[in-house]
Amino acid sequence: MKEALSLVQRLSAHPDSRCWFVSWSPNGTLLASCGGDKTIRIWGKEGDSWICKNVLQDGHQRTVRKVAWSPCGNYLASASFDATTCIWKKKNDDFESLTVLEGHENEVKCVAWAPSGNLLATCSRDKSVWVWEVDEEDEYECVTVVNSHTQDVKHVVWHPTQELLASASYDNNICLYKEEDDDWECRATLQGHTSTVWSLCFDAAGQRLASCSDDRTVKIWREYPAESGPDLSWKCVCTLSGYHGRTVYDVSWCQLTGALATACGDDAVRVFKEDETANPDEPVFSLAAQVARAHNQDVNCVSWNPKEAGLLASCSDNGEIAIWRFQEEE
Amino acid sequence: MASHFSGVLQLTDLDDFITPSQECVKPVKVEKKQGKSVAKIQIEDDGSYVQVNKDGGKQKLEKAKITLNDCLACSGCITSAESVLITQQSHEELFKVLRRNKVPDIIFTCDSFQLQANETEQKTVVVSVSPQARASLAAHYNLSSSEAGRRLTSFFKGLGVHHVFDTSFSRTFSLLESQREFVERFQRKQQDSKALPMLTSACPGWICYAEKTHGEYILPYISTTRSPQQMMGSLVKSYFAGQQGLSPQQIYHVAVMPCFDKKLEASRSDFYLTNAETREVDCVITSGEVLKMLEEENVSLNDLESAAPDTMFSSFCGDEFLSHAGSGSGGYLHHVFTYAAKHLFGEEVKNLTYKTLRNKDFQEVSLEKDGVVLLCFASAYGFRNIQNLVQKLKRGKSPYHFVEVMACPSGCLNGGGQVKPSTGQNQKELLQKVEDLYKAERPLLPEDDARVAELYQSWLNSVGDERAKELLHTQYHTVEKMTNGLTMKW
Repeated sequence: MKEALSLVQRLSAHPDSRCWFVSWSPNGTLLASCGGDKTIRIWGKEGDSWICKNVLQDGHQRTVRKVAWSPCGNYLASASFDATTCIWKKKNDDFESLTVLEGHENEVKCVAWAPSGNLLATCSRDKSVWVWEVDEEDEYECVTVVNSHTQDVKHVVWHPTQELLASASYDNNICLYKEEDDDWECRATLQGHTSTVWSLCFDAAGQRLASCSDDRTVKIWREYPAESGPDLSWKCVCTLSGYHGRTVYDVSWCQLTGALATACGDDAVRVFKEDETANPDEPVFSLAAQVARAHNQDVNCVSWNPKEAGLLASCSDNGEIAIWRFQEEE
Repeated sequence: MASHFSGVLQLTDLDDFITPSQECVKPVKVEKKQGKSVAKIQIEDDGSYVQVNKDGGKQKLEKAKITLNDCLACSGCITSAESVLITQQSHEELFKVLRRNKVPDIIFTCDSFQLQANETEQKTVVVSVSPQARASLAAHYNLSSSEAGRRLTSFFKGLGVHHVFDTSFSRTFSLLESQREFVERFQRKQQDSKALPMLTSACPGWICYAEKTHGEYILPYISTTRSPQQMMGSLVKSYFAGQQGLSPQQIYHVAVMPCFDKKLEASRSDFYLTNAETREVDCVITSGEVLKMLEEENVSLNDLESAAPDTMFSSFCGDEFLSHAGSGSGGYLHHVFTYAAKHLFGEEVKNLTYKTLRNKDFQEVSLEKDGVVLLCFASAYGFRNIQNLVQKLKRGKSPYHFVEVMACPSGCLNGGGQVKPSTGQNQKELLQKVEDLYKAERPLLPEDDARVAELYQSWLNSVGDERAKELLHTQYHTVEKMTNGLTMKW
C-alpha cells in the first residue's frame, strides 16, 4: 500500500507575517486563517482554486492566534494576543463583529466552541481556562474560570459530543474539565509529556485524545472506566516518537478516515495511519506519508476538512497556507 | 510553593511566575563605591554573596530588598511578595515582638558596659480577631464561636498580648458608614453617573484587582468606607493610643483574618501613619496561622480556660460575642438594603428574599412597590461573577444600585486563610459547619450599639468632620499598566 500527500494549492495568506492557524467551517466549504498581521481571512473555492473571500480586520490590536467556527457555522470566534476574544457573525457573505469578550489578563491563546454551540472556552498566558455561556440574545457570560495549570495554557478543545473540555499547557500537562455542582472542575490531569503540550485533538467518537508536544512526540490517550469518585481515568496508550525532528505544534485527527496529521517545527507535514487489527489498549500508528519541506518555515497548524476525506490544510510561519490531498493508493 | 493569595490575585499579573525577574521594574538603588573595578563575587556556603577584591580582601555584599509596597505600586510581578509577607507579616513576627517584650527593660551592651534603656523596644500588643476566623477555629476545635473567642482571648493573653479585641465591633462602624454613604450616593445619582452602583470595599483581593485591571473605570463605584480591619486600625492607633497615653508606634497591632489578601491591605500606604512611622495594622495573621501558633505552643483550645472579652472594642452581651445579620462576609448587602428601604422609601423590610442567578455566588435582592423596582441589590462572589459584573457595568447593562463584592467563592467564611479541612474531612462540609457556627452568634443591629454611638459622639465629633472622614474612609489608586516586550510568549 502506498500513500501520498500531493499539493493542491499554495496560498500566500498573510504576507510578510505568520499564519498561525486555519479552521474549516463545519460544512467544509470555507477555511478561516489568522495571523500576525492581526487579520482573519476567509477562503472559499471558486472553480478549481481557493481564493480569499473576506478579510476581517480592525477586530484585534495584536496577533490573532486562533480562530474557531461555531457548530452551526454562523459564528466565528477569534483569540488574540490583545487579551480579547472576538465573536463574528456571518451575514450573507460578510462577517460583522458581534461582541468582544474581555477578562483574560493577557494573551488569549485559543478559543473553542462546545458541540452544543452554547458554550465557548478560552485559555490564556494568564494560566486560566474560561468557559462562557451564550444566550439567545447573543450575550456572553462567564460561567467559570479554572486555574488548574501552573503555566501558560496553549490550547483548549471540546469533546465531540459531551460537555467535556481539555486543555494543554506549557506546564507539560493536559487537564480535563467537567461541570460539577454549579462550577467547572478539573477532573483529570494527564501527565506524560516532558515539555510544553501544544495541541490536542479528540478522535471522532471521543474515546481517545491525541496530544503533541515540544518533546517531539505525539501521545494517544484513552478513556477507561473511572476507578472511584468523580475523577476521570485517561491513560496514555501510545507514544509516537522518533518521527519528528522538532517541536510538534499541532495534531489533527480526521473524523472521516481516522488518519492523524501533524504540524512540525522541522517544516514537515506528516500523516499517520492506525493499524486497525491492533489491540485497542496498545494501538499502533505508522507513518503513511510525509512532506519534508511542506513549508519553508515552521508548520503551525494542520486541519482535516470535515466533509471531504483526505483534504488537509496546513499553515506556516512564512505566512502561507497549503492545501494537500492525502491519497491511499491500492 | 502554592500561592496563598485569593484566586483573583493569582489571576492578575500580581502572581505571574513566568517572568518574575524580567518583569520586576523596581529600580534598586546601588551604592557605587569609587575604586577598583575588578573583583570577583563568590557565593558562600550560607548563601551570602561576598565580593573578593584583587588584593584578596573580602567584603560581604548587601542584598537588594524589595518591599511589599514596591510590589503593590507596580503593575509587574509580586512573586517576591510572598516572601516579603513572610518576613513582615507572620505569626513569627508576632512571637518576635512578644519575646522582645519579655526582655527586661535594662540591658547590657558589651562593648561599652553602658546601661541602656530598652523602652522603645517595648510594645503594647493588641490583637483584633475577626468573627470569621473565630468561627473557623471554633469548627476545628468543636466549640461554639463565642467559646472559641473567649479561649483565644486567654491564649493570646497567656502569650503576653495586652488586649484582645473583636472586629465585629469595628465592622459596626463599617456598616454604619456604608449605609450613610449609600444613601448619599443614591441621592446624587441623577447628577453623578458614577454614584451607583456602590460596590463594597471590604475585600482586599477585589480592591487590588480593580485597581490593577479596571482602574479609573471601576474605582469611582467602590465605596470609600474602610474595611472592619482598617476601621480597627483607626480605633487602635488613634483613639485607643490617645486613651492609653501611648504613641501609635508603641502599639503593635495584629489582626486575625480569614484571608491572606488582608496582609496586602494592611501594607497599603493609605494605612501608614507617616508622622508616627507605623502602620495602623502592623501584622495580619490568618486563622490557619493561629492554629499553627497553638500547635507550636503545644496548646489546644479545648484545654484552655475561657477569658472574658476585652470590653473596650468588642461586641458582646454578657459573655456572648455578637455578630451582624446577613452574609458571612459582613452582611453589607443586608444592612444597606434594610437601611435604604427605610430611609429612602419608608419601607420596613423584615426578611430579605435572595434570588439565585447564574450560580449560588450571584444573588439578587430587590424592593418593589406598585410594580416599580425601587432598589436592586446583588452579591457577587468569586472571580467569574466579578467578571460578569464588571462587563455588565462596562456595557451599561447593570441594573444594580449596590453590589456586595467578594473575591472568594462563598465569601469570607471560605477565605484562603481559614483552617484547612483535616484529613478525611470534606471541604464543603467544613464550610457548612463554619457557616452554622458563625450564624449561631446573635446579630446586633449596628444602630443599636450604644458603645459605637458613644464613640461617634465623644471621639469622632471632637476631631472634626475632615479628620473623622480620614479615620473612617479611604481611597483607591489606579495602577498604571506597563507592557514589556520581554514577557512575550507564543
